[in-house]
Amino acid sequence: MHTLVQGIRILFVLMLAVGPAAADTVKVGVIMSSSGPFARWGEQFRQAIEVFQKQNGKTVSGHTIEVIYRDDGGPNPVRAKQLAEELILREKVQFLGGFVFTPNALAVADLVTEAKMPTVIFNAATGLITRKSPYFVRTSHTIPQAARPIGEWAVKNDIKRVVTAVSDYAPGHDAEVYFSKAFKAGGGQVMESIRIPLATTDFSPFFERILQQKPDAVFVFGPGGPPTVGLINTWASRLKPAGIKFLGTAETQQIDLPKIGRSALGLVTSFHYTETVDNPLNKALWADLVQMFGKDTVPDLASVGAYDGMRVIYRAVEKFGPRVTGDQAIGLWRGMQFNSPRGPFRIDEKTRDVVENIYLRRVEERDGKLVNVNFQTFPMVKDPWKEDNPE
Amino acid sequence: MSEFTIVLDGIAYGMVLFIISVGLTVTMGLMRVVNLAHGSFAMIGGYVAAVAVGAGVPFIAAAFGAALVAGLTGALAEVLVYRPLYRKGELAQALMTFGFTFVVIAALTAIFGTSIKTLPLPEYMSGLVDIGFRMYPAYRLFLIAFGLALALALWLGIDRSLYGARLRTAVDNPRMAGAVGINVNRLFQLTFAGGCALAGLGGVVGSALLPLEPYYALRYLVLFLVVVGVGGVGNFKGSFVAAISLGVIDTVAKYFLPSAAAYLFYGAVLALLLWRPDGLMPARSAQ
Repeated sequence: MHTLVQGIRILFVLMLAVGPAAADTVKVGVIMSSSGPFARWGEQFRQAIEVFQKQNGKTVSGHTIEVIYRDDGGPNPVRAKQLAEELILREKVQFLGGFVFTPNALAVADLVTEAKMPTVIFNAATGLITRKSPYFVRTSHTIPQAARPIGEWAVKNDIKRVVTAVSDYAPGHDAEVYFSKAFKAGGGQVMESIRIPLATTDFSPFFERILQQKPDAVFVFGPGGPPTVGLINTWASRLKPAGIKFLGTAETQQIDLPKIGRSALGLVTSFHYTETVDNPLNKALWADLVQMFGKDTVPDLASVGAYDGMRVIYRAVEKFGPRVTGDQAIGLWRGMQFNSPRGPFRIDEKTRDVVENIYLRRVEERDGKLVNVNFQTFPMVKDPWKEDNPE
Repeated sequence: MSEFTIVLDGIAYGMVLFIISVGLTVTMGLMRVVNLAHGSFAMIGGYVAAVAVGAGVPFIAAAFGAALVAGLTGALAEVLVYRPLYRKGELAQALMTFGFTFVVIAALTAIFGTSIKTLPLPEYMSGLVDIGFRMYPAYRLFLIAFGLALALALWLGIDRSLYGARLRTAVDNPRMAGAVGINVNRLFQLTFAGGCALAGLGGVVGSALLPLEPYYALRYLVLFLVVVGVGGVGNFKGSFVAAISLGVIDTVAKYFLPSAAAYLFYGAVLALLLWRPDGLMPARSAQ
């Protein structure tokens, strides 16, 4: 007991000696899903954050940046709000980040506004989110942002008749609406808009129906995760032999490609991040992920959202020091631009939402590995949802 | 001819439902344990086969090896988890087996990670076959053949055998069965292991439609329960008829009325259960 008391005394004296003025700790609370069916998201966030801190140091002008992770376990707005309260009130974080799912991000909006807490959305992708609090910025993408360009491209490339088949939930509906709008504006015909129940395991009846309609292509928005593999394999065995092309957005993520296998060859998707983008930041991100977490680690949209999210937060501490306020941070972030692993990155001055390139990519085989390869770029696309829904 | 394809698709999907649920017909139907952990054994089988196939073992050998591992795991779980529950009532059984499922999910997540585990089909199953009027996926034809063979084997092996008679006796009246010289504990353990082996086999064979991932056991739990419930608890023929009808209804509905697909499946389940609350073919010995 005596030694313990002595130990504490020594520690205390040491802490006084180091002094608070020289180096503060800036806490960043990250709310994400690191258990349950969506645990991969949390893992990708954390790994990208660790790579960022390895590359840029754990301190900014002498102030330690400490990341505190909290697990919301999936789409769970109540839990997300509790975690945000805990991080703000008890941990006294200076930034919030993370948020895989839209409902979780929306759930903290009022709290964030009240606390003037600068908050960076690493993923959640409905257009609406950044409207809900003036202290939100986003480093991922929005669904309409990704879905519209492929509609524009398709109609200019000999695809005149399309059936859309989207998962029956809000992001799927967004994708359907924005793809169709762009496709019809160019003179294309949407023959049918099918909405596939989320719990679907066997996609063949839907694709058999599409086969009978003989469109030039099918635009798909999958439910994400395990069913994607079945979705693409069903396309490959039913529609591909009949020459019906596959158009999508997030269906061909690098992390899933080995599981889909060679069926994925030739799939065309549009997205804001492609793992083979040729820029030094992207190469370094992938190389460090592999070096730190094993050879099968690959960057994806979650990695790049978290990586750039950290960049944004570091910039705010660099400029305003450890006592940065919410208004200072948001003021700095409006209109901020820098190079990201995805390519050029900007935060829109007005909407606080991300402005970025949308790439059209095709799945190809390179050195025996399936990868997405860009073949066309739509430069610096803004979220079309905001244009259609003015404040 | 497209209508014929759709019916074939429906039968193939029904066969998957039958193959993955038939183990539950044994453990929950015949043995009357509320076995919510059924999917865990299916998943264990699937992961074992995935590792084996990755190491170069042929698919069919891996499938039966995986069934064996799932069966042994089941035998062990029977002693440790299930045996104390036989007389404890349904709530205790539901809670315990549900908890067991979480343990398996956590263990598989820790070992294999959270993403999908691929179990590649062999070359001869992954292509297309000419069936006269069109090219059709070989895997689906395999499912139909495999499901039929399995149904026949179980009908002969349980409905029509002395073993089956003993088992039904032991479930209905364990004390009397013991008195006439049946080793009830051994019989239950063997049967439970058999049910788990079937689950494991189903996990492997169905994996191209129901991909393997740690949450498999919960994601498809409703499907397993629906097949057993609609079929009539404890009856193979019932499960078979239920699985095929639900498969065909679901598939045909999705083809002709995609906008109504989400609720037509459950609508059919509801209608069937209202019509026959004990299932299509309730077991004769049901109390």
